[in-house]
Amino acid sequence: MTQTLDAGRGFSQLDSADATGAPRSTTQTGTKSETFVIAFGISFTLGYTVFQMLNWPLFTYMPAVGRTYFWLHRPLTGEGPPMYWYGWIVTSALNAFVVGGIATIIPGNWLHRATVFFCVLAALWPAALAGLRIFILHWATFDAEFLNSVWVAAIPGLVGTAVITYYVPTRLAELMWTRWLLVVPVICLVVLGYTLLPWFLR
Amino acid sequence: MDIIFSIIREDTFWKILLFIHFVLALALLAALTLQVATVLMPARQVAGGFVDRGPIPAASYATLIAVVYLVQALFGAWIYIKYRTYVRIPMEELRYWWTVGAFDFKEHTIALGVGLLPAYWYFWQQPASTEHAGVRKWLTVFLALGVWYALSIGHVANYFRGVGS
Repeated sequence: MTQTLDAGRGFSQLDSADATGAPRSTTQTGTKSETFVIAFGISFTLGYTVFQMLNWPLFTYMPAVGRTYFWLHRPLTGEGPPMYWYGWIVTSALNAFVVGGIATIIPGNWLHRATVFFCVLAALWPAALAGLRIFILHWATFDAEFLNSVWVAAIPGLVGTAVITYYVPTRLAELMWTRWLLVVPVICLVVLGYTLLPWFLR
Repeated sequence: MDIIFSIIREDTFWKILLFIHFVLALALLAALTLQVATVLMPARQVAGGFVDRGPIPAASYATLIAVVYLVQALFGAWIYIKYRTYVRIPMEELRYWWTVGAFDFKEHTIALGVGLLPAYWYFWQQPASTEHAGVRKWLTVFLALGVWYALSIGHVANYFRGVGS
């Protein structure tokens, strides 16, 4: 008779610092590295999506003329097509390095809650803007064009995010921490794919 | 670049670069697919302490995958210059909208993959740990699917205007 089980289960006990006899400082370094890579991954993917949607490249490269401009540059006559992709990646990487660095120095419970805050904000802010635009288009009985602004949408976005973040149980925020690393890139891909929809509907 | 172009023709240079990009993509695809197969079908321990392992330990080439992915992304970024001017403009003129959109999505997929590389590499440093087995598995699947998609769309773009087209 053959009895099987996941080999990983057998190894799991060996992985703890106590079992391996690893010094405390090594464990702390490991935890910091882990925090950094998770925060880097979440903030890079989220940042890339936001910077792409807002079109915030750190620089613009003009391949036809071989020129690079700081930040967003609209092509002049004869300059050829602009390339923003490099700029979005560099902006996202810088953002992710800073966020990753900050994540390693703040307390764990703050970090988990801050991650919930920013992930929820990234969803609620554009949702609020979309909601305002629907309101202006279909329900407003007055000239509500002033509501069609990202900064006006920031108000309900921030309030909603603050409320949700406040009521999220600490244990759930902690459980979600590494899961954001899987959830955020998938949602970001869906959003980025949605922005490309005009190409497929032409 | 002028020094290179004084030795070989410009279009030959870009074709060589594109070919290297293709070969690296195949290598990356093979390694990641193998790793995905390993994480989706984990090793099992049979009675008596023997571990029925896969033929290749998946963790041993995680660093290699991370390095090749990064090199490949840099290669892609370099070739992208040529794509933007030499391939995409006629693509738009000939109204190949789906190809343009699909290629733009490839850029995003690879960019997100680059952002996840540090986490991918880190979690593969402790392959026996069950604590992050789920994250490790799905990060690997995400990267593999991205590479599969990128190679497919890259091939479509190459078919439009590239090596042998």
